[in-house]
Amino acid sequence: MTTIDIDEDEAGTGLITLVVTVVEILFDALEREAVRRMESGRLADEEIERLGRQLQAIETEVESLKASEGIEESVSDLRDDLDGLVWDALEGLDEDHSRSKKPGYTVFRGEHE
Amino acid sequence: MTHEPTSLENEQVGKEAGDRARPSGAKRRTSQPGATSKTDFDAGRYLYCLVDVEEDRDLETVGIESEPVRLITNDGIGAVVHDCESVYDSDDHTEIHRWLVRHQSVTDEAAAVFGTPLPFQFATIIRGGDDVVCEWLENERDHIEDTLRSLADHWEYRIEIVRTDPIGEEALEASDDHLTELRADIEAAGPGKRYLLESKYEDRLEQLRAARNQALVTDVLTRLDAHAREVHPVDSPPGGALEGRRSRDNAGTSIGRLTILARADDEEAIGSVLDDVVDNPGLEVTFTGPWAPYSFTPAFGEETGEESDGD
Repeated sequence: MTTIDIDEDEAGTGLITLVVTVVEILFDALEREAVRRMESGRLADEEIERLGRQLQAIETEVESLKASEGIEESVSDLRDDLDGLVWDALEGLDEDHSRSKKPGYTVFRGEHE
Repeated sequence: MTHEPTSLENEQVGKEAGDRARPSGAKRRTSQPGATSKTDFDAGRYLYCLVDVEEDRDLETVGIESEPVRLITNDGIGAVVHDCESVYDSDDHTEIHRWLVRHQSVTDEAAAVFGTPLPFQFATIIRGGDDVVCEWLENERDHIEDTLRSLADHWEYRIEIVRTDPIGEEALEASDDHLTELRADIEAAGPGKRYLLESKYEDRLEQLRAARNQALVTDVLTRLDAHAREVHPVDSPPGGALEGRRSRDNAGTSIGRLTILARADDEEAIGSVLDDVVDNPGLEVTFTGPWAPYSFTPAFGEETGEESDGD
């Protein structure tokens, strides 16, 4: 199982990293939705402009926070970890359900002594 | 669901040659006096690999924890083992790494003496004595002999293609009308809309890069197929096709991992294909092997293990 390692000595930084990472993920989803709405043709030009400016401001703020806290790398690492976690979960869906429940070893044959 | 360990236990390890140093299971190495836990037993044989011993040769080496390695033979099939009384597990990664390296070294030494072995995963233990091993070899004889014959003189090789420099934006824009249009729209837009269009532009860039990378890997796979008996991609990167897993030293992005079953004589031809790949700017290739054919060795006896659940 993938574990996310947060240094206990830097729990505060770890917490900020976690929060900023979650914010980034939400922001990405928000950005995709904004692009989708822009392409839908249902937004007026002014609305598109306002939406874009707001997102840009949020992104600038998040980047600024990351820089001031020195957590750019740890946020990136955590996102990679989360990617791996999701990937493992997706791979797990493809496997035989019973296999995923096996213990760390497999019994082939014979009698218990 | 839990299994009741009986005669043959196998602590699961990534079966891929490249992942052989990463046990996926974790158990304590138990040895309390009088304990009859699943991980203790009176007699066991730690199994490294199976070999063809048609010719009268022996293997003298030491295995995990300096245990003397020996050969249990049964009419032409040899099991490379050491005697043990418990499974191998530890919370100490250094210790596990040391065991894994020794496991691999023994398999390599067996390969040097007997030719291509059928390698077993780390911590495969047959519960019981030599007689149990012989009985198992006999029961699996047809399967083992067929596999040994089939894999004889073949080895596993691993290839990882790493892109150290992303494909240039200009090159992609020049070949994609959609990107060209987006660029024009961006330049004509106000700051807010420009921000959204740039996001779209970046997404398109990544899609094109992923497609180019995938095409390259597919081309390499096809070309290698002409020189190898089997070529297979090894898993896919997290994040789907858009972003590859970063290579271990973070010096680039892994865009494809392949495992190959080939003869040693084919190494040069395979190397030549890979030389062509690294001639492309921004690409690196790691090529490792020959390994014992871990990824091409079928499972032995797992079906009976499933059945033993209800025993």
